Amino acid sequence: MKTGKELKPGTVIKLENDPWLVQKAEFTKSGRNSAIMKTKLKNLLTGYKTEIVYSADDKLEDVILDRKEATLSFISGDTYTFMDTTDYTMYELNAEDIEAVLPFIEEGMTDVCEAIFFEERLVSVELPTTIVRQVDYTEGSARGDTSGKVMKPAKLKNGTELSVADFVEIGDWIEIDTRDGGSYKGRAKV
Amino acid sequence: MKASWDIFCSVVDNYGDIGVTWRLARQLVAEHQQSVRLWVDDLSAFVPLCPEADATAAQQMQQGVEVLQWPGQWQSVDVADVVLEAFACKLPEDYLQAMKARKKPALWINLEYLSAEDWVSGCHGLPSLRPDGLKRMFFFPGFGEGTGGLLREADLLARRRAFEQDPQARRAFLQGLRVFPESSARLVSLFAYENAGLASWLDAMAAGSVPTHLLVPQGRIMGDLLRWLEVNELAPGRVEQRGALKVQSLPFVRQQDYDHLLWSCDFNAVRGEDSFVRAQWAGRPLLWHIYEQEEDAHWVKLNAFLDLYVKDLSAPAAQAFTGLWHAWNAGSDMAQSWNLLLEHWPEITAHSERWCLQQSLQADLAQALVLFYRNWI
Repeated sequence: MKTGKELKPGTVIKLENDPWLVQKAEFTKSGRNSAIMKTKLKNLLTGYKTEIVYSADDKLEDVILDRKEATLSFISGDTYTFMDTTDYTMYELNAEDIEAVLPFIEEGMTDVCEAIFFEERLVSVELPTTIVRQVDYTEGSARGDTSGKVMKPAKLKNGTELSVADFVEIGDWIEIDTRDGGSYKGRAKV
Repeated sequence: MKASWDIFCSVVDNYGDIGVTWRLARQLVAEHQQSVRLWVDDLSAFVPLCPEADATAAQQMQQGVEVLQWPGQWQSVDVADVVLEAFACKLPEDYLQAMKARKKPALWINLEYLSAEDWVSGCHGLPSLRPDGLKRMFFFPGFGEGTGGLLREADLLARRRAFEQDPQARRAFLQGLRVFPESSARLVSLFAYENAGLASWLDAMAAGSVPTHLLVPQGRIMGDLLRWLEVNELAPGRVEQRGALKVQSLPFVRQQDYDHLLWSCDFNAVRGEDSFVRAQWAGRPLLWHIYEQEEDAHWVKLNAFLDLYVKDLSAPAAQAFTGLWHAWNAGSDMAQSWNLLLEHWPEITAHSERWCLQQSLQADLAQALVLFYRNWI
């Protein structure tokens, strides 16, 4: 069983016997210490997609999935091809299948991802908890702050924007935490 | 079309849950001719809002609403056309089974908390599918398009205007509470949770150049108030004076009288959800003590509302208003921010009425729920 709070992209839940892939999950605090999870689900049998809200403590039946290590091989339009690192099998996914991690997918990335299979079909991928990406553009340090507490916007090579410490410069490599939708962790030593 | 409604209310704390559901139930009956059963798990919280009610009765009719004790041991009943759980209270398992077995499906609605945050319109009206096939719809009150609106009776603003235009009605109402304000006094109501900032606010009002008459309905703020007054008790009706400030405690009043109190005052400090909404319909400057949440989540909600509310104020007035709300909710010193707010009093007063009118243009919550049901069938 999974609770509404535990849903995340890549989770598959069973609703009325059909498997539904969580493509996106947004956690929000509601009132009086309750919370809700807004999800985007795809029916893995029919392809039908829908948006659904769960209370954080709703109980849901999850489906046990196969997981394998895979790396991004190449991107062609909206198709992302991943390669099984053990037997080199190629698998394709559409952009919308990996919507939640898409901001941190880019050509040339070497992260070993977790490929998620439902009945031998690749349905999603999960990135490692920490990934390293290069800053493509950011303004110069405004205040000369070195504490890491003052933040400023920055852009990655694939156009993704996020907040980084004020001292980060163009070309720097940074660590990103993928668990919370992608937040800056610190400057990486590369 | 007359539909049957089961509204479930679990009283968690204070009067918010029962306040909202009782108001909604009455409105569904009076304005939309719906048949409503209100299930309440703690009727003792209901009696202060409806003094005619009997806290021990398993079933009673009050103002057209069938009010029922929500029993610990659930007894089988027919499922209504619309099942509304307030604030995600858990429905009895047996009732859920009866919903599953119902030939014609019931519309199951979870009425959520009020928030001005952006995400609300993206979640309002979305379903929640359960593994057993039951579907629950999430219904969010709110301040703008794409939300379920706010609770407001159809004639509320007309009643308020009539009250405002009848000085005798105001005088009679206040006299009924043994309140006799000086004509030059600023009348302020105070309904709040415990607040460390209260003493500094009272100090500021006591030192003010304009006399203030502070009316305090019984509630959780009383302890802080008694400490500041250095008295052991303040019986309803009794007045204590400190400098320019008169402090008077009031009995807990029914919802209709609380509206009259808000309409009688020049400034209203409110708390939680129900009184917060009513203070907006009063069209007076207000101060909201928001329900404190874990991880300071309430600050996000407070600021989301403030962003919306002060948008059309001048920058200095917006800053003064926001500063007062921040100080109050942080329990910090209120003196400076209160005095700053007074400098922008005319602008903020005019804005309060504008905000009220602007909000009244959207469908009210009861109307939106009835429409939601009609569209659903």
